[in-house]
Amino acid sequence: MLVDFELIERARSGDDGAFNQVVQAYRKRILGTIARLIGRPEDVEDVGQEVFLRLYYSLEQLRTPEVFEPWLYRLTVNAAYDYLRRQRRRHESRMSDLSEQQVMMADAAAGGKQNEEEQRRNKVREQVQALLDNVSEEDRILLTLKEVEGLSLKELEKIYRVNENALKVRLFRARQRVLKAYEAAEEE
Amino acid sequence: MDRMSERREGGGAGLDALFAEYRSAFPDVDGSANFMPGLWQKIEARRVETTSIFRHMVRACVMAAIALTLLIIVLLPRVRPEPIYSASTYVEVLDEAHSNDAADLLAGGEVQ
Repeated sequence: MLVDFELIERARSGDDGAFNQVVQAYRKRILGTIARLIGRPEDVEDVGQEVFLRLYYSLEQLRTPEVFEPWLYRLTVNAAYDYLRRQRRRHESRMSDLSEQQVMMADAAAGGKQNEEEQRRNKVREQVQALLDNVSEEDRILLTLKEVEGLSLKELEKIYRVNENALKVRLFRARQRVLKAYEAAEEE
Repeated sequence: MDRMSERREGGGAGLDALFAEYRSAFPDVDGSANFMPGLWQKIEARRVETTSIFRHMVRACVMAAIALTLLIIVLLPRVRPEPIYSASTYVEVLDEAHSNDAADLLAGGEVQ
């Protein structure tokens, strides 16, 4: 826990100052997690604000401060999931409006402005995003939390409120699908 | 479902390395200076929106209550039922209800 239970209790009882402190403590971690979940740095703050907004209005439903972190992660997962679904719909309609040549030109123009290190990072991001596109939004988030964020099955169990075996099966299937896509991309 | 062996061989290790690289491509970020003010603006906007929805609901309920009251005031005199009490005596009411009985007897029946 990054804050003590007493601070969460105060925030829960409507103390805005305490809520501010909670946000300050978790902001960096949550924004980082969101960045890796959605893969779009430009939208991270918006999604992050949505997470803390939901936290503000749902904090009084929190049963005990002990379950605060899984609760916050659950809000993060839900906000990321909503974002990814919106994004997929938007992306589909946007791509159907542009010709392939226009898309390539836009990519080239964006790439020219970045330095080498940034380009390498972008390549990794794009590669992982493309691989994760092979699974549903739910599985993509679950896989990212496990493989990238490094959360344990116990932690995931608390966030998802699902038993460990069900999570294992789901993770295994999602990973297999991503692995297959990765191997296919490597062979090309 | 032996993930460990799957990871050791083939693309499993490569995929793990790619995930690790992806992790470092997105370091934890603190957000801009506008993060907190923006958050509080959104919180306030939601609060105003909720209050405004609540106000609209209250206003709609009040309007509906006034309309119902007016409707009752207009309709009540028209649907007022006849009084159940009578100004006549019991004998007068009986007489009125059976006024033809004596005529029937005189017309067809025999008086024993």
